[in-house]
Amino acid sequence: MAPKSIWNGTISFGLAAVPIKLYSATESKTVSFNEVHVSDGARIEHKRICSKEGKEVPYKDVVKGYEVSEGEYVVLDKDEVAAAAGSRGKVIELEQFVPEGEIDPIFFEKTYYVGSRDDTEPYRVLLAALERTSTVGIGRFTFHNREYLAAVRNLGGVLALHTMRFHDEIVHADDLDTPRAGKAPGKQEVQMAGQLVESLHRKFKPEDYEDTYREAVFELIKRKAKGEELAPPEPEPEEEPDDLAAALQASLGSR
Amino acid sequence: MPRTLWNGSLSFGLVNVPVSLTSAARDLDLHFRQLHGKDGAPIEQRRFCSKEDEEVEWEEVAHGYDLDGKQVVLTDLELSLVQPRKTRTIDIEAFVDLEDVDPIYFDHPWYLVPYGESEGTRRAYRLLVEVMESTDRAALGRFVMRTKEYLVLVRPREGLLGLTTLLFHDEVRPTKGIAPGGRKASGKKVDQAVKVIEGLAADWDPDSYEDCYRKRLERVVRDKKKGKTIKAPEEREQPQPAPDLMEALEQTLAAMK
Repeated sequence: MAPKSIWNGTISFGLAAVPIKLYSATESKTVSFNEVHVSDGARIEHKRICSKEGKEVPYKDVVKGYEVSEGEYVVLDKDEVAAAAGSRGKVIELEQFVPEGEIDPIFFEKTYYVGSRDDTEPYRVLLAALERTSTVGIGRFTFHNREYLAAVRNLGGVLALHTMRFHDEIVHADDLDTPRAGKAPGKQEVQMAGQLVESLHRKFKPEDYEDTYREAVFELIKRKAKGEELAPPEPEPEEEPDDLAAALQASLGSR
Repeated sequence: MPRTLWNGSLSFGLVNVPVSLTSAARDLDLHFRQLHGKDGAPIEQRRFCSKEDEEVEWEEVAHGYDLDGKQVVLTDLELSLVQPRKTRTIDIEAFVDLEDVDPIYFDHPWYLVPYGESEGTRRAYRLLVEVMESTDRAALGRFVMRTKEYLVLVRPREGLLGLTTLLFHDEVRPTKGIAPGGRKASGKKVDQAVKVIEGLAADWDPDSYEDCYRKRLERVVRDKKKGKTIKAPEEREQPQPAPDLMEALEQTLAAMK
């Protein structure tokens, strides 16, 4: 099946314009359930109820409000919210190019694939230049009236666009109230833990990790459908060895 | 202080470290509330049974699944029978090199913080941080939170353990059919494009990018509160692809000098 694009626009760098299309790069495969009423199995409906009148409100009578102080809302209509989108329109202007690998992936939020539109040459030129310079283009991207910081990079012969988190959206360790650090581990412990790490070192291959839980949920659904009684399994003993060195030693011994 | 979403343990060989999970990203977006236009009162979303048309409490809600036309209902308790160990424990299965994990797999960042006051916990936690720092490896594990399994990457971050949920390989779509066909570009145009990129080269400095959208939306709210009229700015026109790519690149380079 040919992929379906979700956005048409232009990437620009300098005066060069690259006509593009965007495609979703990711999709959730989680088993999704419907909410049902446990006593009769009927579907649950969500109703919008006015908190003052206790009556259902049709969608056309709903407005959007931003709470500026306790209980005080400023109501904005669709056009007013859209006014914040800015004037970039459908242009993603790459303003800077930063070395690949310099961006901590903690900044990456959602990924889209970039395809070309009409003339394919500008796309191929940008791709080749990103590849040769090992850089990532940074720009701003407006999608559904919301502006994002975006990174455009070469992902093995195709352009990918990542929306990015802003620096103030990242939580730092200092922001957390964590218990003080424990005593420094002993030399022997560090050495044994290091050996354990090395013994478990693998080349990352995403295909090696299947979502087995998803399958297990399907199995449970099938068993329930057959009318099987679903009984809780035997509880496992909780192990929490106090002796760190002994636990490491035992872990190394068991492989 | 961000709230804890999950408590459990991180298991490394036979070493178990009690940890709790807290988000490493905060949502600074402006959130709007649905209001009733007539009286300005907030709208509440309430659950109703479609058969009885009566309100249903959250405790009365179960999970329905349509299995080939047959409705199967599972309760939270029944769902919790699926791989229960995974709901309590992140088992470290392997250690990998961070650069081998493409950022496309990265989903949401978290911190794993030591849970509880025990000296043993804090020492084991610190050992994990130090050993990963010194070997430059990241740990891969899996766990289940709210009826979803996550593949996770654990690595040291600012003296703590950072955890990132990863997408499973089948949640990343194939790139087939996305890139345009045709041969790989080369020659003069790519050379010039490389020069443009070099002219715009910078170090990654996240602090230099502000969320202008958030600021503009805040201004819109302020202006509206004062009773001002909100006007949308004119949208910039989409640049037409340069009739001559080479010329566009050369003009850019000339302007950069």
